[in-house]
Amino acid sequence: MLVLTRKVGEELYIGDRICIKVMEISGGKVRLGIDAPTSLRIYREEVLAKVKSENRFAAEWELTDFQRVVDHLPKNSGE
Amino acid sequence: MNVKVMTSHFGALEIDDDRIIEMPDGMIGFMERRFILLSSDNNGCFFWFQSVDNPALAFVVTDPTAFVPGYEVTLTPDEYEKLKLDPESAEIILLAVTNIHHDSTSNITINLQGPVVVNPIKMVAKQIVLENGKYGIRHPLFTAPAPEPSLMKKEGERPVVSPQKITALCSNL
Repeated sequence: MLVLTRKVGEELYIGDRICIKVMEISGGKVRLGIDAPTSLRIYREEVLAKVKSENRFAAEWELTDFQRVVDHLPKNSGE
Repeated sequence: MNVKVMTSHFGALEIDDDRIIEMPDGMIGFMERRFILLSSDNNGCFFWFQSVDNPALAFVVTDPTAFVPGYEVTLTPDEYEKLKLDPESAEIILLAVTNIHHDSTSNITINLQGPVVVNPIKMVAKQIVLENGKYGIRHPLFTAPAPEPSLMKKEGERPVVSPQKITALCSNL
């Protein structure tokens, strides 16, 4: 892993089109400003981790639970 | 052409292979790359999203737009490409992964932060992660009825949706 030191207000480029700026450092937190093409989806690592764990949880449906849920739905709920 | 798909929940199924949805990146956290949607008349707005290659892997999905008015997903150019979508006439179907909580609540929730986007023409799908703070990962739908049959039917809390668009992609159980 490349490790660089930056001060508040300093920037960092990844390629030509991605720029990360250190906006603020306080109370053990770093605020970053990110300029990047809209074609890139940017998300915090923990959001990805949350989706992953929610998927794992979602893969554990029991047929009996499913049946219990849909049995209480209206028949032909669409038009 | 029909292919045989083994499933833990429903045994062996004969599926028309043009109903197979390719997921080049899989569901987040899983390796499986091919899925089918399964419906039955009694399943209302819920569908099984079953792995073709792993009998034990199946999710329950539903149409998030039926429950959350105005729910929308903006795709990036990379995602258009991955989904083989025509940007001019990009018809997509959204699926929300559903969970049942085995705590005191028995709540049914859907994941609005990690929707599965399906290109129904090319039968390609991708699960994407939204980082806009607008949608929750456990958006509550309703409380599941208690295990005892014929009890706890609550009128007025039932979702009424029109899942025809998803049904069109499904194989019947």
